[in-house]
Amino acid sequence: MRNGERGIPKSRIQVRDMDPAVDVRGLTKVYEGKFKALDGVDLTVEKGKVFALLGPNGAGKTTLIRILTTQFTPTSGEAYVFGKNVVHDGSEVRKIVSYVPQEMGVWTDISGYENLLIYAKIYGIPSQERKKIILDALEKIGLTDFANSLVSTYSGGMIRRLEIVSALLIKPVLLFLDEPTIGLDPSARKIVWEELTSFKEEYGATVFFNTHYMDEADLYSDEIGIINRGKIVAMGTPAQLKHSVGGDVIRLDVEGEVISEGIMNKLRSLSLVSQVAVQDSELNIVVRDSETALPVIVETLRKQRVSVRKISMTKPTLDDVFLKYAGTRLEPSGRVSEVRQARAMIKRG
Amino acid sequence: MNIFFRNVFAMVELELRRVAHDRTELYSRAVQPILWLVVYGPVMSGVRAIPTGNIPYTDYITPGVLIQSTTFVSIFYGLTIVWERESGILKKLLVTPAPRYSIVIGRSMASGVRAVFQAIIIVPVALFVGVRFVPNLAYFALALLVIFIASAGFAALSILLASFVKTRERMMGIGQAITMPLFFASNALYPVQMMPPILRDFAVVNPLSHVVGAVRALMISGDLSSLPVDLAAMLVFDMMMFAAASICFKRIIE
Repeated sequence: MRNGERGIPKSRIQVRDMDPAVDVRGLTKVYEGKFKALDGVDLTVEKGKVFALLGPNGAGKTTLIRILTTQFTPTSGEAYVFGKNVVHDGSEVRKIVSYVPQEMGVWTDISGYENLLIYAKIYGIPSQERKKIILDALEKIGLTDFANSLVSTYSGGMIRRLEIVSALLIKPVLLFLDEPTIGLDPSARKIVWEELTSFKEEYGATVFFNTHYMDEADLYSDEIGIINRGKIVAMGTPAQLKHSVGGDVIRLDVEGEVISEGIMNKLRSLSLVSQVAVQDSELNIVVRDSETALPVIVETLRKQRVSVRKISMTKPTLDDVFLKYAGTRLEPSGRVSEVRQARAMIKRG
Repeated sequence: MNIFFRNVFAMVELELRRVAHDRTELYSRAVQPILWLVVYGPVMSGVRAIPTGNIPYTDYITPGVLIQSTTFVSIFYGLTIVWERESGILKKLLVTPAPRYSIVIGRSMASGVRAVFQAIIIVPVALFVGVRFVPNLAYFALALLVIFIASAGFAALSILLASFVKTRERMMGIGQAITMPLFFASNALYPVQMMPPILRDFAVVNPLSHVVGAVRALMISGDLSSLPVDLAAMLVFDMMMFAAASICFKRIIE
């Protein structure tokens, strides 16, 4: 129920139960007629879930989130947020979602309190409730003492928390976060997630976030979609995905030489081996039974005159999942420090 | 409260709060107009080459200088918008339920409010160098309103440009490329009649001429005969700019 023509959510907007939070079909986005950022994405996120879109930089995560938040239109395909078409019912979508951009969503030349005040006014929070809501929000994120300091004096983690809490003022039914913790140190990341989790528990909202941190997707999401080169390559709960790798992972650090395709094929032909991948001098082999398979693998390698420096056996991680479906590792690249620098620059104003 | 006015007021309040935190820009932007009034005005009035009727030359150019300094702030307002594009704020603002036009018009009016402050800083300097204003507070207040309306229109023009150029460097370049022609091809420093015919035609459609004309009538000459035309021209300019900037604004985050 919406509050008449003003369209300001007084309390949380009721959405129809049968509509999934996010429903995307055959979505593509081609930039300037050349670069295909999204290449036929199909995706459904159920209501009330925390969904992580996991993928390396340039995989299309940001493009997808920006289409879902009505910032631009897809080249083809359809996307719905709680049954509302993001292209045709953009203004309806914007009443129920909130969005935290990757860069920064607050003004740094005014105080934290003032930022929340401006957003509260934009969101149409009634003036008699405004002050209390803002002070509660600041208290919740531990910024009460800094309420009247300029945001430019805040740390990166403080700014992130302020951004998130400002997006929550509208009490969205669906919160989109684009790389919510990029560039933050581990303790600040943890605090951000604690706040997001408590918000979610309080309001039961759906959370859709982009990340390239596997541990975050693993720890905080109910469901993960792995995206690579504009395509969703795998979907499932963290456990399902890890299970889908099909066994244990043996990791071998080999001496300098390049592993030839011939050696790879020899390994693949072993009966216990279900998957082989190589990255630099690291060989990743997925096996059904690591205790039995390991001696065979080492023997095979020795016959091919490959000397092994180090062996480790692990349960599969999301990284292995990513390796299986995308064929490469999901390594944090130089982009993180880039983002960190950019944020520092934005902060200085 | 109507959603449009609510957002406009929020944007204006944002600007006021920014100004309250950092007034250095207001002061530094006052330096140039003060030089026009303190140096250029007295020197040129010594030359006595420009026919300004019975109005002393420095008095004649005071509205021009005021408008130059206030509208130029607005013409570069797009820099703020480009900055907010880079910093992610615009993306977030455009995902709020606030209609786009309310953001565009709100930001334009925010720039208009900043311009009024700018004007208020310069007026005492003008008084100090001996400029005689029409002693009528209502006229003075109306002149400030004119400055507000004009600056909002030019800020909308700047937002419109920012939606296309998207980078600070290009925005700087374009701003500089349009400010001087607007200024010199107007009645800010000399009567339009002194210009070559082509420029004279341009000066008639130059919105800056109408702004200067209105402010000169209200502040210096007290002759309001052309005020309705000037005000109408400004309002048309504002409406066009608000509409165009609102329509194109979404491009800025694409």
